[in-house]
Amino acid sequence: MRIATKLMLFFGGVVVLFCVLAAALTVQLRNISRTYDALLGSSVRDMDRARVTQVNFKKEVQEWKDLLLRGSNPDDLARYTKQFRDRSSEVDAGAASLAQAVHDPEASALLQQFLAANQAMNEKYQRAYEVFIAQNEDFRAADKMVRGQDRQPTDLFDQVVERLNVRLQAEVQEQAAAARRNVRLALGLSGSLLLLLGAAGLITVRSILNRLASLQAVSERLARADISGLTMPVLGTDEIGEFGESMRGVSAAIEELLKMASAADAVHSH
Amino acid sequence: MGAQLVHIYDEVAKEFGPIGRMNLALLTKISSDRAKTEPDSPANLTAFQQAITQLRKQGGKT
Repeated sequence: MRIATKLMLFFGGVVVLFCVLAAALTVQLRNISRTYDALLGSSVRDMDRARVTQVNFKKEVQEWKDLLLRGSNPDDLARYTKQFRDRSSEVDAGAASLAQAVHDPEASALLQQFLAANQAMNEKYQRAYEVFIAQNEDFRAADKMVRGQDRQPTDLFDQVVERLNVRLQAEVQEQAAAARRNVRLALGLSGSLLLLLGAAGLITVRSILNRLASLQAVSERLARADISGLTMPVLGTDEIGEFGESMRGVSAAIEELLKMASAADAVHSH
Repeated sequence: MGAQLVHIYDEVAKEFGPIGRMNLALLTKISSDRAKTEPDSPANLTAFQQAITQLRKQGGKT
């Protein structure tokens, strides 16, 4: 194969290698981006909604306490009653929506338990509220009716948040591990290809340099007309080989010249 | 061995002199001494015939 072809192939190989690597990296980046988008669109979003509902639930309980403490004032009673009911609606809607959205069976089951416990708590709160109003805003009886009732839903929702958090962390770790695997794969593949290309380039360059060195040695002897025992090395069929063939012609011509000069000397000396 | 090759050398020497012999060696890559030991193979004979044709076209020069 000619040197020009070898060099073009080597150059083409380098260009193709870098194009393949760039394409592989682009695909890899897209995959990582897609999986993280999916993570953000499901597990992270569920986690955020769960935390919002958790906070709303705690606020709902707080509104109830404010209602009992300050409900003797009609304005406060109206305000805290509204806020309590608003929070309660938000908790119901948030938990129901979350229950439909989550894919984790354990979290889904916990949410169903929470919804049932929350409904039971709300019914008790409603009865306590009626007692509170009926007894002229005396909070003691109402408080006694619902004391500790928020504990079970609170615990259940804490478990929901904990479960979603564990799942989210596992998915994040899984994504990170997949990204690391892909990076190792890309590095291994690109390293192997670069090694292969480097080895091919090195072999080509060494072959060219070795044959040029042989040719240089022959050329130096021809320059001195030192052709005694001179043999032309086999240099292949590429440009260096063709050059070597030309040198064989030069060598033969010098040999012929030396022979004629020697014959002429012999004639003159007689 | 190489009798025909040697004969061609002789012809070229008569026709074009020493320059012709040198150019024949240059073109065929075979000197007259080596022509004595080289076989009269078809490849060698073809190379010599082509060389002598070229020399005749160019008056003994390459």
